[in-house]
Amino acid sequence: MHADVALRTESLCLWYGARQVLHEISLSIPALRITALVGPSGCGKSSLLRCLNRLNDEIADSRTTGRIRIGEIDAHAKDTLVHDLRRRVGIVFQRPNPFPLSIHDNVAYGLRLLGIRRRSELDDRVEAALKAVALWNEVVSRLDESALDLSIGQQQRLVVARAIAVEPDILMLDEPGSALDPVSTLRFEELLHELARRHTIVLVTHNMQQAARVSDFTAFLHQGRLVEFGATDALFTNPRERQTEDFITGRYG
Amino acid sequence: MGRREGDGKIWLLAGATATGLGVLLCLIGWLAIAGLGAFWPLSVTEMQLRNGSALLGEIVFEDSGVIALRTSEIDRIGVAYRRVPRIDIVSQSQPADAITVVLDDGRRLFGRESTTSAARVFALASRPALEREVQHVNALDRLARMRLFFGNVGRFLATPPTASNLDGGVLPALIDTVVLVLLMSMIVMPLGIATAIHLHEQRSRSTRFVRSAITTLAGIPSIVYGVLGLGLFVHGVGGSIDQWFYADRLPVPTFATGGLLWASLTLALLTVPVVVVSVEEGLARIPAGLRDGSLALGATREETLWRLLLPAARPALLTGLVLAIARAAGAVAPMMLVGVVKLAPTLPIDGDFPFLHPSRQFMHLGFGIYDAALASSDAIRGVPRAYACAALLVAVVVALNLSAILLRHRLRERYRALEY
Repeated sequence: MHADVALRTESLCLWYGARQVLHEISLSIPALRITALVGPSGCGKSSLLRCLNRLNDEIADSRTTGRIRIGEIDAHAKDTLVHDLRRRVGIVFQRPNPFPLSIHDNVAYGLRLLGIRRRSELDDRVEAALKAVALWNEVVSRLDESALDLSIGQQQRLVVARAIAVEPDILMLDEPGSALDPVSTLRFEELLHELARRHTIVLVTHNMQQAARVSDFTAFLHQGRLVEFGATDALFTNPRERQTEDFITGRYG
Repeated sequence: MGRREGDGKIWLLAGATATGLGVLLCLIGWLAIAGLGAFWPLSVTEMQLRNGSALLGEIVFEDSGVIALRTSEIDRIGVAYRRVPRIDIVSQSQPADAITVVLDDGRRLFGRESTTSAARVFALASRPALEREVQHVNALDRLARMRLFFGNVGRFLATPPTASNLDGGVLPALIDTVVLVLLMSMIVMPLGIATAIHLHEQRSRSTRFVRSAITTLAGIPSIVYGVLGLGLFVHGVGGSIDQWFYADRLPVPTFATGGLLWASLTLALLTVPVVVVSVEEGLARIPAGLRDGSLALGATREETLWRLLLPAARPALLTGLVLAIARAAGAVAPMMLVGVVKLAPTLPIDGDFPFLHPSRQFMHLGFGIYDAALASSDAIRGVPRAYACAALLVAVVVALNLSAILLRHRLRERYRALEY
């Protein structure tokens, strides 16, 4: 069922100090599909995301073992450049975090880091990214105004545009619906399908309906362990594990 | 609904705030009135005394028993005060034909035009000086006196001092003070920002120690910094420079003497704690999500700092600058050890290359206050002058701060939504 694997973890473990957060996670995320990570709060979903682009490096006394392969790259190899890895594995956080810059400069931020200086090229790529998230028409007249003046839903799409502007292979989204109202959430899910044409998407959510609606594959995590991983249809209709069934039918806890 | 518990406390807090603000306003008002009062042109009074003689001059002090009169200063400025007991006075009047001849060294000579011409009054002066102007103060109406008043204020602001700082203006002191504070700002901001960044980025046991050390530094009396500046900069660094580069001029010191550079370095040391504390607080207030967002886009920590965190912390940088300016402009005690002088022959900035002369000694408004109030030979002239200097110093600090605050306000507008 997996044509291409965009990201593979092998026996990935993560510790924060003495506390082990992830246990032996082995997961292959298929390319150009939407994979949902579901599980109860505190099961390690967000920590897993932060492992995959090594944002956990920024947290003092965090430690990992096991391997992460992004395409052909070993994420923890000595010759892997962290900032290059992070560019290839974009992340959108739970809460929209636009920079206190103009709308244009928010999207251009990552592009400038890549060394793109030509105004025309920046403008083109900013426009393309904003169009990809269906924000262009709403902000075209005020690209130079502060991104902080946008609504939450617009901010969420802006940070997605910012993430995809640098053309990552993989786009990870950490509970992107939690700050949005139901209508914005639905629009956002449509957007995810659009984005999946060009990017591998990893979606963390604790909304079962959302996972069922949006994703092609689903991974269920519980207490830092991968309980079950498979095609979303199969996992939701015919779970192999008792824990999974309890969780998706709402009997968890 | 009944009164909620705690209402009384709110009134107490509001009362404390109002008291503080009230005292502050009184202080500024008092400074302004006492300072500006020195420039108001006084009437010329003629007194007939019991012994048959007559005195002509300005009343500078009076109480129930005595009147003090400033009479013609024939010889030197500030020596012609006469204390006259009220019982000796037969009559006093303010003749309309009284004239005041103001000399360019600040001396005043008084006369009556009906009996003595201005030229003859002028000729009374035993020590030669140029006549600046002849005033008919008693004949002037309020508007004309106002004009004279503003002339005096203008001269105070825009001319150099004369006659041992008792007369003339404070322009050099004003310029020197501003140059000193600006030079200090240029030194302290990079130093303070770099320290704050280091403390913010490196969170370990040693930085906790450094942080508490810096907070302690903020509480050290400013004169201690003066001693430090004298030993470290003037004698230490300056002495070494002289030995290495100006050995042929020794024992005449070139850099091993108080000067603008050493003074601004001393002030920078004095103010670095306030900059560090406010910049670090500003950096800490930036939501962690911004930092993560930047790193997640592939920025290095340095890029994140320069492109995102420091720009977002700009209001905090300016707060630090405001506090530093406020502390530096008022620190006179350390300046007395590292180069402030009563009367500097030259300005530290001029048209000669390299335009800024950091080794020159300088004047200072704050020192001007001390000098006029305590070190002057003429308290009657000196004290109002001290008030005027104090009011001007406050105005300078307010002006410098106001420009920083306006700048910060503009940045806040831009970043206001950051403060969620």
